[in-house]
Amino acid sequence: MDHALDRQAAIEAVLFVAEEPLTLAKLQEILGDEDPAATEASVRALALTLEGPSRGLMVQEVAGGFRLATRAEAAPWIQKLQQVKPAKLSRAALETLAIIAYKQPITRAEIEAIRGVAVDGVMRTLLERGLVRMLGRKAEPGRPILYGTSGEFLEHFGFKDLGDLPTLREIDELIGAQKPEGGPPPTERPADPSGSGPEPPVTDATPEAGAPDSEPPAAPA
Amino acid sequence: MSYQIKLDMFEGPLDLLLHLIREHQLDILDIPIATITEEYLRYLAMMQELDLEVAGEFLVMAATLIHIKSKMLLPPEETAAGEEGEPEEDPRAELVDRLLEYQRFKEAAQTLGHLESEQLLLYRRGAPAIDLEVEGPLSVSLFELLRAFRDVLRRAEAPAQLEITPEELNVGQRIVTLLDRLTQESPLEFAQLFASSRRRSEVIVTFLALLELLRRRLASARQPEPMGPIMIYRTLERMEPPGQEAAASGQSGTADGDPTGKTEE
Repeated sequence: MDHALDRQAAIEAVLFVAEEPLTLAKLQEILGDEDPAATEASVRALALTLEGPSRGLMVQEVAGGFRLATRAEAAPWIQKLQQVKPAKLSRAALETLAIIAYKQPITRAEIEAIRGVAVDGVMRTLLERGLVRMLGRKAEPGRPILYGTSGEFLEHFGFKDLGDLPTLREIDELIGAQKPEGGPPPTERPADPSGSGPEPPVTDATPEAGAPDSEPPAAPA
Repeated sequence: MSYQIKLDMFEGPLDLLLHLIREHQLDILDIPIATITEEYLRYLAMMQELDLEVAGEFLVMAATLIHIKSKMLLPPEETAAGEEGEPEEDPRAELVDRLLEYQRFKEAAQTLGHLESEQLLLYRRGAPAIDLEVEGPLSVSLFELLRAFRDVLRRAEAPAQLEITPEELNVGQRIVTLLDRLTQESPLEFAQLFASSRRRSEVIVTFLALLELLRRRLASARQPEPMGPIMIYRTLERMEPPGQEAAASGQSGTADGDPTGKTEE
C-alpha cells in the first residue's frame, strides 16, 4: 500500500473530526513525525488530492492551522440542505471589528471615539460570538479593558494570521480614488500586539498576501 | 405617536455626515459647513418628528457643527505678528480628520464584509450553522431610507384631500398589514409601500412599521444600485408570529429581546 496515501487519509480523517483548525505541530504530533516538513508535505499532498473535480471538500489554511471545509462551489447544495443562508455580521459589528483588528489593543472608549457612537451592544455580541477578546487592562486611570481579535476572528474571515488583514494603506488608496485629494497619510498595518493571537507564527514561507489563501469562490447568484 | 424605535443598531452622526457629503457630492476636504449643518439639522428634525430615539451623539455633533460654523463666520484672529505664527487652523480640521479616519474603517469593514461572504460559502464542522443574532437586515443605510422617506413624504403632502375620520393609526397594526403584504409580494419597491397612504401621518406610521420590521429582521432593505430604488424583502429565515409582539406595541417596541439593544454595564 502506498504509504503517502495512508498519511493523507489519516490527516483527512483527523481534520474531519477536529472542530477547530489543527496546527502543524499538532498534526505532527498525531502522525508521530520527526520532521514537521514531512507533516506539511502530507498536508499539502492531501490539499492537492482534494482539488480533484470529484471532491466537495478542501484543506483550508486558517488561523494558524489547517481545517477541512466544503468548497465554495458546493454552497448552493448545502444551502438547499440547510434551507437558510448563513447570517452575516451587521454593518455596526463589522465596523467595530475593523477598528479593533487594526488598532488592537484598544479600549472601548477609543473605539467609540472613532465610530462616534456607543458600542456597548455591539461589543457584547462580538464578545459572545468569540470574535473579540479581552487582552488586559490599560495602564491609565480607570484601568479600562483592552480588546483585541481572537482566533475565531481569523477563522471567520479566513485569515491565516493578522498579517492577512488587508492593509489600511490599500484602503487609503480607495479613499484617494474617490476623493479629489488623497486621504490621510498611509498607516501601517497594526503593530502586531504581543500575544494578541493564539496563532503561532505560521511555519510556511508563503509571502503575505492581501487576499486570503482560498481561491476566490464563485458566488452563486 | 408613542412608538419608539431604537436606532442603535443603525448608524451614528459620522455616518450621517458622510451620507450627506456623498448625497450632495461635497468635497470632504472642503466641506461647506453652512450647507452641511443645515442638512444635518434637517435630518435630525426628521428623526425627531418620527420620534426615533435620537442618540445623544447626534445632538453633540449638531452642537459641534454649529460651533464650527460660528467660528468660520468670525474674522480671522489678529495674529500677533511677533508670535511664532501658528498657522490659522481651519475650524473644520478636526472634524475632517475624524470623518476621514472613520471612513477608512468603514471601507475596511466593507472589505471584511466581502471576505466574510466568501468564507460563509465554505461550510465546516463545528461552526454555528446560523446565528441570526448578529445579522443586520439593512443593506442600505438608515439615511438612505430617510432620504427615500422624505421624498414620499413630500408627495403625500401635496393633495390636501378631504380629511375624513382621523382613525386611530396604530403602528402595531401597520406592522402586521405590511408583513402580510410582503408575504404576498416580495420584494416591493420602497415607494410602493406608501402608494395607498395619502396623509402625512399615514406615511409616517407605515415608515415606522417598516423600521420595526427591519429591526426585528422580518424584512430587509436592499439597494441594488447606489442612489437607486430601495427594495424591501420579506425575510424568510425566521418565521415567528409577528402579530403577538407587534400587538403589544403600545408602549415600546424596544423591550423584547433586541440583541443589539444597549444596556448599561
